[in-house]
Amino acid sequence: MSSFDIQRPIVELPDQNPDPEFSDEELVWTDAEEEKIEAWKEQYPEDQAAIMKVLWLAQEKFGYLPPEVIKFCGETLDMSFSQAYGVATFYHQYYKEEKGTYVLDVCTCFSCQVCGGYDILHYLEEKLGVHAGETTDDGLFTVQEAECLGSCGSAPMMEITNGVYVHNLTPEKIDDLIESLRAGEVPSFTSMTLPQDEEELGGNRRTDVESTETYQTQPRAEHME
Amino acid sequence: MEANGTPQSPAGDWRSYERMLLPPIQDLHKLDVYTKHGGYERLRRVLEDDDVAPDDITNEVKASGLTGRGGAGFPTGVKWTFMPEPDDRPRFLGVNGDESEPGTFKDRQVMEYNPHLMFEGILLAGYAMHIDTAYVYTRGEYTDWIALMAEQLENAYEAGYVGEDILGSDFSMDIVLHKGAGAYICGEETSLMESLEGKRGYPRYKPPFPAQKGIFSCPTTINNVETLAHVPLIVQEGGDAYSTIGAEDMPGAALYGMSGHVKQPGVYEYPTGMLLSDLIYDVCGGMARGEDLKAVVPGGSSVPPIRADQIDGLSMNDESLGEVGSRTGTFCPLVLDEETDMVSFTRRVAHFYQDETCGQCTPCREGTGWLENILARIDEGEGRMRDIDLILELCDNMDGGRTICAFADGAVGPIRAAVKRFRDEFEAKCEASVYPVSTDVSAGPDSAVAATE
Ligand SMILES: Cc1cc2nc3c(=O)[nH]c(=O)nc-3n(C[C@H](O)[C@H](O)[C@H](O)COP(=O)(O)O)c2cc1C
Ligand code: SF4
Ligand code: FES
Repeated sequence: MSSFDIQRPIVELPDQNPDPEFSDEELVWTDAEEEKIEAWKEQYPEDQAAIMKVLWLAQEKFGYLPPEVIKFCGETLDMSFSQAYGVATFYHQYYKEEKGTYVLDVCTCFSCQVCGGYDILHYLEEKLGVHAGETTDDGLFTVQEAECLGSCGSAPMMEITNGVYVHNLTPEKIDDLIESLRAGEVPSFTSMTLPQDEEELGGNRRTDVESTETYQTQPRAEHME
Repeated sequence: MEANGTPQSPAGDWRSYERMLLPPIQDLHKLDVYTKHGGYERLRRVLEDDDVAPDDITNEVKASGLTGRGGAGFPTGVKWTFMPEPDDRPRFLGVNGDESEPGTFKDRQVMEYNPHLMFEGILLAGYAMHIDTAYVYTRGEYTDWIALMAEQLENAYEAGYVGEDILGSDFSMDIVLHKGAGAYICGEETSLMESLEGKRGYPRYKPPFPAQKGIFSCPTTINNVETLAHVPLIVQEGGDAYSTIGAEDMPGAALYGMSGHVKQPGVYEYPTGMLLSDLIYDVCGGMARGEDLKAVVPGGSSVPPIRADQIDGLSMNDESLGEVGSRTGTFCPLVLDEETDMVSFTRRVAHFYQDETCGQCTPCREGTGWLENILARIDEGEGRMRDIDLILELCDNMDGGRTICAFADGAVGPIRAAVKRFRDEFEAKCEASVYPVSTDVSAGPDSAVAATE
């Protein structure tokens, strides 16, 4: 038996030529958007450099980036489809297919792994009845496994739809979170208290946003084992 | 110094250290609070004093001995001297806020709590190197922090600290925020430049180095967010004075991002050269679950992990960590206790690199996949004893300049070290499939391989 007998699971390839979701009439920028794009072009010596910003704008507007939207973004900056498609498919955060209303990116990397990131992910999968990478039937939640999101001191943590971070996760916190998301309430931005501020600033470095109580490592979700 | 019982700490009397990068001042991220506490004064002094030439700033930074905080630890002042003489081409500064190295979360604190210090550092660096535009490349996940920075940047523009004829001088510079979209490799400096130009983030061959041919083929310097935040402090204190802070080989303040199994994880500011034992047991209050220490990864996933029995007297500077074959990296130690399964841990590290390789170089693209596959097989109890050496052999075929960028070296270093330093754990997991019934592997891996064939 050779030692190279490992088989990767077979993943279904996404359809590379789906029927267009958006018609030509829909694929237009508003005046305000055009103004923004013009301003972005000014920021760089070459227009093409604005493509990442334009793709972000398109994702906000259309929800995700099917090929016709990517093509449209490219044309805005005189780029070929292949150039724009290459950029859109290089980066994780551009959604190439439709996702749930809330995309829950659970970090299972490095620090989060050893602090119970997988327990949190599995709890969430079980709760919502989907595996990582899938969307719930009601179209509300997509669960994803994420690489380090740069908030390792408050592991385990997750990010909601390329935006808000939720720190120091526990099963109870997940329960509350899902409930409030179902009610349409996305948690607001919270500032992470620096441990040294606990003594000197009473744990509140910024008075203009909510501050978390304190850094607390979660013992690896013992009650779930 | 001696009174604290840590006479050998290169960080010196760290208990009475006063924070400079993130001083305890409420609402320091706001422009008015920042200027009230001496903000932009260093810039003003440099621009108004005719005796201060651009090269003087570079020389101060050189004298300070500041090393880059993005992971590679290259002397910042020296890097700045690589910029060619100004010609008619535009010149750029790439500010690296990609911060995607697993375990690293300290640049974010600078961007949130002291963005103007970073802007002032950018402007001083721009003045020193005759740069006209800085691009702050921030990872796309930091949406909220980018919005905060954008607001503060606008304030700085309005107050005349950024833009045309800054503070009435003839020095002009723009700062542009650029949002990434989730690709670890874009933290690598040449990949960052490609990404900024609106392309896939494929790293470029070096040479040409960024100083000769960088963003849009123009002279470019890439510096980390934290590195630039040190610059106003150096201008204020003077390079020589700054070089006396912390460890001699990489002096200055440092943001330590502590994570893992410690009671009080988070970002702490202390001088460089903190003893690992001080950081874990004093600063962070000890181990979180009451278990013993097993390993420390000193600075992000790309640096080799250290065994608990090696940490005695080790401090956070390259000279000290180099003795056990590790590096400071991003100054963000991950602390692991006895309960950690080093095989699953290493497998997850391999998964990260497999996921994030840009795929240009065959050894890296294929190697990271095989590393993950083999480690997964071992982790799931299906491994053969010879898989362990197979991993090491595979590692030897990936690093050491076989690839375009240092990503492959970053992937291989920690995996090789983990396998060598925790070999018994890997062997224990391979045992089951070699001897389905018995458990005796005392004869060593060689006989184990023979037993299967
Ligand atoms: C694969 C790879 C990823 C990197 N990621 C980052 C990063 O996220 N942030 C960063 O500042 N530097 C990163 N670097 C280091 C940069 O290439 C570069 O050395 C650094 O930004 C230079 O700034 P400094 O000298 O101020 O540290 C990375 C390097 C490699 C090889
Ligand atoms: S070493 Fe890896 S990440 Fe770097 S250029 Fe080659 S394939 Fe890409
Ligand atoms: S490892 Fe999860 S945020 Fe860094």
